[in-house]
Formats: sequence, structure tokens, C-alpha cells
Amino acid sequence: MRVIVTTDGSKQSLAAARHLRSFADPDKITDILVLAVIRPLAAVAFADELSAPDRKRADTTSLSFREAAQSAVDAIAEDLADWGPKIVKQIRSGSPANEIIKAATQREAGLIVVASGGRGLSDNVLVGSTAQRVQHYAPCPVLVVRPAPRKRGTRRSAKGKGT
Amino acid sequence: MAQDALTDTTSEPEAETELKRSITGRLLYFYVLGDVLGSGIYVLIGLVAGAVGGAFWLAFAVGVSIATITGLAYAELVTKYPKAAGAALYVNKAFGNTFLTFLVTVCMLSASFAAAGSLATGFAAYFAQVWAVPPSLLVAVLFIVLLALVNFIGITESVVLNMLMTFVEIAGLVLVLGIGIWFVAGGDANFGVLTEFTTEGNEIFAIIAGVALAFFAMTGFENAANVAEETINPSKTFPRALVGGMVTAGVIYVLVAITAALTVPIDTLAGSDAALLEVVRAGIIPVPVGVMVILFAVIAMIAITNTTLVAVVTESRILYGMAREDVVPAVFAKIHPSRRSPYIALIFAALVVSGLLFAGAGLQSIGVGLDVIARLATVTVVFTLFIYALVIIAALKLRGTHESEDTYRANTPLLYLGILGNAVLLAYVLIDDPSSLWWCGALLALGFALYAIEYFFGTRDRPPGHERGDPSELRSAPEKGE
Repeated sequence: MRVIVTTDGSKQSLAAARHLRSFADPDKITDILVLAVIRPLAAVAFADELSAPDRKRADTTSLSFREAAQSAVDAIAEDLADWGPKIVKQIRSGSPANEIIKAATQREAGLIVVASGGRGLSDNVLVGSTAQRVQHYAPCPVLVVRPAPRKRGTRRSAKGKGT
Repeated sequence: MAQDALTDTTSEPEAETELKRSITGRLLYFYVLGDVLGSGIYVLIGLVAGAVGGAFWLAFAVGVSIATITGLAYAELVTKYPKAAGAALYVNKAFGNTFLTFLVTVCMLSASFAAAGSLATGFAAYFAQVWAVPPSLLVAVLFIVLLALVNFIGITESVVLNMLMTFVEIAGLVLVLGIGIWFVAGGDANFGVLTEFTTEGNEIFAIIAGVALAFFAMTGFENAANVAEETINPSKTFPRALVGGMVTAGVIYVLVAITAALTVPIDTLAGSDAALLEVVRAGIIPVPVGVMVILFAVIAMIAITNTTLVAVVTESRILYGMAREDVVPAVFAKIHPSRRSPYIALIFAALVVSGLLFAGAGLQSIGVGLDVIARLATVTVVFTLFIYALVIIAALKLRGTHESEDTYRANTPLLYLGILGNAVLLAYVLIDDPSSLWWCGALLALGFALYAIEYFFGTRDRPPGHERGDPSELRSAPEKGE
């Protein structure tokens, strides 16, 4: 099975990669594509929150979203490096959900791993998040890894989005 | 979970990292065209007409030419350094002076604040043509808040939407041109008006006054650097798309200006808040005026929205970049966990632009200020002229460095002409309207205040041994061995 692990540079996407690793059998995985998608027209095309502070230094003059995407992909790939399956890295640009689905179709992937970021208001109220769209249109099963619910307990967010 | 065992063992050889870019030359062309077209003609044509007279199309022609020369310098620099930062990067490469780089960055930020304010006021003017009940200040502020929200959600990511908006903008201007052709074909046109000047004084000064305003109509093209990194084959496509987009916009501007001058009396144009609507309202084509006015107002609002969206993106990107550099407080680099947008930067940008709108309206109501659109447009022009001149100088200074055989090379005498043009306009604007300096000063002060806050209260989260805001130091951050 070929697996696609996506990253948007968030900590949650690293958690998603680790979650895959926690239960899947590396012998059944032929290769893993670590994929980041840059959104050229968005306010911040790619934000990397994964790599070490000395690597995520960007500045106004050399602000490079490609470098940010590259270091996020590297960070995920490094985390999976000693697991077994061959790691391939890819950076695309465009609309994240579309590009993830395109990559999955091209590679005939057997599983897509995506993180779904927030617990917050915007994630429940506003439609159109990447994870949702990937779930709806993916050519293969999708593992959506959401953050653990807050300890405070009273509020239960909708869970079990994985297919 | 593993119910699917689609094992596929064919492994094709692949590069370790594949890079797939998405912005084609055509998309970039429409991005530039859409960004440039929305920013001026709908908002400013009346003011320019008032400043010059019937010959105001000349002001657009001169303004477009100077801006396009600046565009050549941008095209050359983008092919050398295809990064999102634009002017700040070029100035840093050319002069290596941290303060100058910071100044240019703050100027870029201030220019897009002022531009967004001016555009929002223009939006409100067209909105009033459709529904006149809400006060225009409220419409303008809501417009800015809404755009910040749209950027937060990420609707702007859609390249298709961007192209559609550009088509609508072009449709609006084609509509105006069509009216002009109909009018000329009818034989009623008096071409004499095209050489008339309203001012008694020197005609050259009248034109310069018009150019200074018309220049606002061309600003925005520099935002194309936003997508430089994602452009396929930038050294070929970028110059073509950038200059092509600007020339197309320029030709449309001049033709539209001629049409407006022919079909509508100059004083009517000068006195109107939504001047291009007057062309439609003149009732030249046999279509009910009421329908046309609403249709055209909607087109104008879409055009202005397109450009303002880019301005808001630019503002939040600059703030984000500066925060990562430890030049402004780190909160501006805060990314929303699920939306992946710099929400603090977006909120701050909306607040500053709203502040400008309130300040403009407040000053106007006590009779001190001028028209808010003109005031903020002038402020934008002051900042952009300064940046453009520096960018051209940077282009000349960086000649011979980082060149490869497919680097685009702008014509050198033209670049010198461009510096002269930008400098003359800047000098004129400052002498003619020194009070705009107060606004410029206030915006610059805001930038410096953010710097001071970060300097005195900010946490020192940059790597040890690195100077604050020194890009060369940051650049040499140790690479992780892979």
C-alpha cells in the first residue's frame, strides 16, 4: 500500500504522521509520500511550525514559502525515516485539497493521512476545510487525525471522522 | 483501518523532492491585470479629470508609461530573485543596509494600508449607487472587515475565482469602451475636448498633477512578486506576464479615459463620486439607464474587491514576515491552527485601515481634511514612488550580479528615465500637497512603534548570535544535514 502523509506545517500534522506509525504495519507499506501544498494566493502561503527554531528563521527579505514547506516536509520525513518504508517528498502548489487528491490519484495511494487542525469555533462553523474536502473526494481511505479533546470535558467535539 | 490492501509494488524512480509550481504565465497575466485594473480607474477617474481637464487621458498615458518602466525593473529583479518579498529583498540585495531595508518594508506596508483605505472608500461610493441608505463610512469599514474575514477563511486561494473577477473587471471597461464607440459612430463626438485643459496655469503642471493621481491606478503590479516563487519558469513568464498585464491595463485606461472625456462633461466627471458611472448614466446606448447603473456599479465593486483583497494579503504577509524576523512583535506571525492564516496580522491590518478611514472622515467633518479617496491615494502614491525609484536603482546596482543567460534585462536608458519620472512625481506630490506628509509620517511612526515594542518588550527568540533583522545572518542559519 502506498500512503500519503500530508503536512500543512502544523504540529498536528506531525501528530498525524506519528499516529499512523503507532498502529500501521510498516511491512505492508511500500512507500510514503510526504506532501506539502503551498497556497500561492493565501495570506500566508505556507507556515512551518515544525522545524527547529534555527531552521524556521525567515525574514521579510528572504521570506520563502518554498523553504518553509521544504523544512516542514523534511521534519515529517525525518520523523518517519527509521520506520522502514521508503520516503518520498513532494511539494505542490495550489488548492491543498485538490492537490492532495491529485497526488493520491496519480500515485494510486491506498491511504491519505491528514491532520484536521482546530477545535475552535471556526472549524465547526465554517465549511470548506482541507480535511473535509479530502474526505469527500479522495480516491482512497482517509485517516483524519484531530487534536485530542480538551480536558475540561463538558464539550465533546465530533469525532471519528476517519474512514 | 487497513481494509484496503491496494498493494502497488511498482516503484518508479523519483527525485528525492519534487517541486510542482502552479502559477502559469497566463494566470500571472490575469493576476497582474486584475490587480492593476481594480485599483484606479473606477475610483480616481473623476479626480484626474478635475485636475487636468479634457486632456486627462494624457495623464493616464504618462502615468502608465512610468509605472511600466518600473515594471521592467521589477521583472528583471524577479527573474534574479524569485522570492515573495519583492522590493525589500531587492533593496537589501543592492544596499545591504538593515535600516533601509526596514524602511522600505514599512513603506510597503503603509502603502498597502493607504491603498486599502482609498479603495474601500471608492467601494462605498459605488455601493451608495445601488443602496444609498447605509452611511458610506460604515460600508467602507464593513468592506475591510469582510475582506479580512475572507482572507482568514482562505477563499482567496482560489485561482479560478481570481480569474473570474478579472474577466468581470475587463467586461466593465469594455462596456464603457462600447458606449464610446457607439457614441463616436453616432457622429456626436467632439474631439476638441481631448486637448482642453481646465487650469489656467502651465499645461505641463496640469498634466503632472493628473499623473500624480493617475499613478495610483497603476499601483498594485508590484504585488505580483507575491506569487513569484510559485510561477512556472519565472525568468521567461514573469517579464512577459507582468509587462503584458501592465500594458494591457494601460491601453484600457487611456481608451476609457478618452471615452469618458468624450461622453461626459468634464465638470460632471470631476464632481462625481463614482465617475465612470456617469458615462453609463449619460444614456447613450438604448438600454434602460437604471439597469445599466446597477450592473456597472456591481462590476466596479467586484473590481475594487479584487484589488483590495490583494492589498490585504500583502499587508498580512509583510507583517508575518517582519514578525518572523523579530522586527515587530511575534504575535503577527501567529497562525490559526486550522485555517493556517495569520489571524492577528489580519485583524491588525483591518484595524489600521479602519483607523485611517475614521481619521479621514473625522478630519473631513471638521473641515480640515480633503476628500478621503484623494488623500489616501496620494499617500499611497508617495510611498510607492519612493519604493519604485529605489527598486529601479537597485536593479541598476545589481547589474552583473546573480545573472544567468536567461535573466531578463531591462533597457538601461529607460530605467534612468523611470528614476527621473518617479523622482519628478514624488517631488511634485510633496510640494503640491505637503499635508499628505502628516499621514505618511503617522503610518511610518506606526511601523517604528511596532519595532520599538518588539525591541524593548519582545522575547528574544531568534537564534543566538544573530543580529535583529539581519537577513544575511539569518540566511546562514545552519542547515540540517539530510
